[in-house]
Amino acid sequence: MAQSGKGRLNYRCPSCFMRDLDIDMFYDKDKKEYYCLRCQYVGTEEDVLEKNQMVRFRYRDMYTRYSENDFEKFEN
Amino acid sequence: MPGGAGRADCFQGKDLRMDQFILNIVHRPEMVPEYAEKVTGHGQAEDIGRKALLTESLDIFKVQQECAHRNGLKTTIEMTYASLFNDEAVELAKADHERFGDEIGLTLLGLPCREFREKYKTKDFCIWMFSMEDKKAIVTDVFEKFYEKFGFYPESTGSYYMDADLICFIKEKYPSVKCAVATCWEEGPKAYHTCNNSWYTFMDGGPWAPWIPSKQNTHAPAASEEEDSGIVAIPHLSRDLIACYDGNGSNFGTHPQNVLRGMIYDSEKWEYPYLYNLIDQYRYQAKFNNGYAYNMMFVGPGWMNKMGRWEAPYELLKKSYEDGCAYYGKLKKEGRLVDMTMSEFADFYRKKKSYTEPECALWRDILYGSQKQLFWYCDPFMRVGVNMDQGGAIFDLRPYVAKLNWPVGIGTPHIQDASYPFLIQEKYRAGYFTHYAGEGTIRSAKICHNGEEVDLCLCRTKAHFSQEGKNRILTLDPVDIAFADMTVKLQTVITFTEGASAVKIQRKVLEMSDPQAEVTINEYMVGCYGTTEYPEDMSTLTMWAEKNGVRDGLSYEYKCREISMEGAELVACKLPPVETLVSMTCEGKDRIGYLKEGYAFSPMFTLGYTGKLQEKEVFTTWLNLEKAD
Repeated sequence: MAQSGKGRLNYRCPSCFMRDLDIDMFYDKDKKEYYCLRCQYVGTEEDVLEKNQMVRFRYRDMYTRYSENDFEKFEN
Repeated sequence: MPGGAGRADCFQGKDLRMDQFILNIVHRPEMVPEYAEKVTGHGQAEDIGRKALLTESLDIFKVQQECAHRNGLKTTIEMTYASLFNDEAVELAKADHERFGDEIGLTLLGLPCREFREKYKTKDFCIWMFSMEDKKAIVTDVFEKFYEKFGFYPESTGSYYMDADLICFIKEKYPSVKCAVATCWEEGPKAYHTCNNSWYTFMDGGPWAPWIPSKQNTHAPAASEEEDSGIVAIPHLSRDLIACYDGNGSNFGTHPQNVLRGMIYDSEKWEYPYLYNLIDQYRYQAKFNNGYAYNMMFVGPGWMNKMGRWEAPYELLKKSYEDGCAYYGKLKKEGRLVDMTMSEFADFYRKKKSYTEPECALWRDILYGSQKQLFWYCDPFMRVGVNMDQGGAIFDLRPYVAKLNWPVGIGTPHIQDASYPFLIQEKYRAGYFTHYAGEGTIRSAKICHNGEEVDLCLCRTKAHFSQEGKNRILTLDPVDIAFADMTVKLQTVITFTEGASAVKIQRKVLEMSDPQAEVTINEYMVGCYGTTEYPEDMSTLTMWAEKNGVRDGLSYEYKCREISMEGAELVACKLPPVETLVSMTCEGKDRIGYLKEGYAFSPMFTLGYTGKLQEKEVFTTWLNLEKAD
């Protein structure tokens, strides 16, 4: 089994990202999977992309565009 | 004229009372970008002189410059040491200065290159971490090299952090310098943690917007000409004043690739409204700062790597930078933004602001949908954070009045730790909520009635800002406190008086369902000191209550002792490690001052006052900060 390397893009571990850790993952081309050196996350590129979408759950206003009149306007 | 020949002072003739949103865009030709060697060079032995790396770095710089100019924006080109050895980089800077009026400055970032390593025999690259002897040698080397290439000394410089000794040395030796990038807001243990405990930029506790650093401590603004270090400092980026306090600072700033790093974008459409919301909320701050607001964008070339960065391909990295510049450019075209070079901004700032004029920010959550609202206050005496989601509790307090002499770098007690110490930091030393036992740092109040107790930290509300003369006033919407047999409508008003080094907090009972009833109020501050999550030795602290010249107090021995004094004029705690004396004073009915020593499992101190309140009555306390002898 040859050594791992970087994948197509510089994917970070989605599990660590959830706990505010930026950890680059490495790619095992034999198994076609990314893995985290720090935690136990392992996944294909498809799984990484899916989990990256999931980590955005906390950004509930990510698609909201505030107007200048909104910064002191709050819902009751 | 150094770095700005032929330019017109962009604010001359303009009415400074009008709302002005100022932008500094800074670019650096960093020949060996941070990250690039590690990331793109993976699988190759380290070689910081690789031709491909140098070529790519310069290409990115060109792209950044072109993005700004295409949108009608001028920049400050901060030459790096490495770029001074590259004739093409030098010629590019000269050409853009001539054509677009860009300022040519000099950054102390970007030191790494073959020439630097051979000369200084080290891989250190953060100027504030070198010994003072090395700082002087490097600054002299870099500034003289700059002079050799350009024929003048720069007016602007910077790094991620510039310690006070470094600034004073530069100002003395190169008096042309008037502006510097001098800190990254709330980049400390959180950034260290995010980077797998491998990124040693500990610089929490500073201002989020431009300021004049004191000679004694960069973070603490100068209170007078005597304290003035001689430069105007700007922060590295303009950061989200809620998200950065609890999360990775490098995800939430006016750095388009920060927003990508935080994954705060639509991954299919490649859109990032958050970036524009962030810029716009900064523009909104003019309302609280006599018509002035500020933004800074400073993206190192490593963030626009051809290999992509984080999950983002180069195309997205480039697009985000183009979009960021386009938005600023649009604001400029609409007359809602003034772009300046750093040195132009320094001149503007000194005309616009007095030493003691505070910086204020009323900031809402624009990302998580929580509707939380904070207020930040910064002046030469303190930095204060107030959380409306916790009833106006103070959740962060930095005693700038102490103007701590805090040398950093090799050979000092603080090799990496440049943070300004806190007395209250609700994330590092808990706030209202603690696990099982002990207390966390917070400044709040409890309302008590018939054995029931309600902490205002659990009363979510919002605030409105007003200014009356020297007073900045935060008026909170009233909250309803429900006891088993009665409700109380209570309002908090927090006043910051310019130059007072004190925070006045009034609690007003507007209504009671039983108008004859009386409640007990307990105004308290739980504090400690430090710069990190971990506890410090409290055994040098002393605490006391005082009345008519009589003191009753204790030396901190972790014995969980308490002292109270009827009618106390003052309760105080002296913290020698941070040269600070913090006290509370009070005006209110039946006031009793008290203090509490902590214990090993709760290494905190508490100062407070209890008193009585009836309908239409007010209970007033002041939190005072002084430099301890």
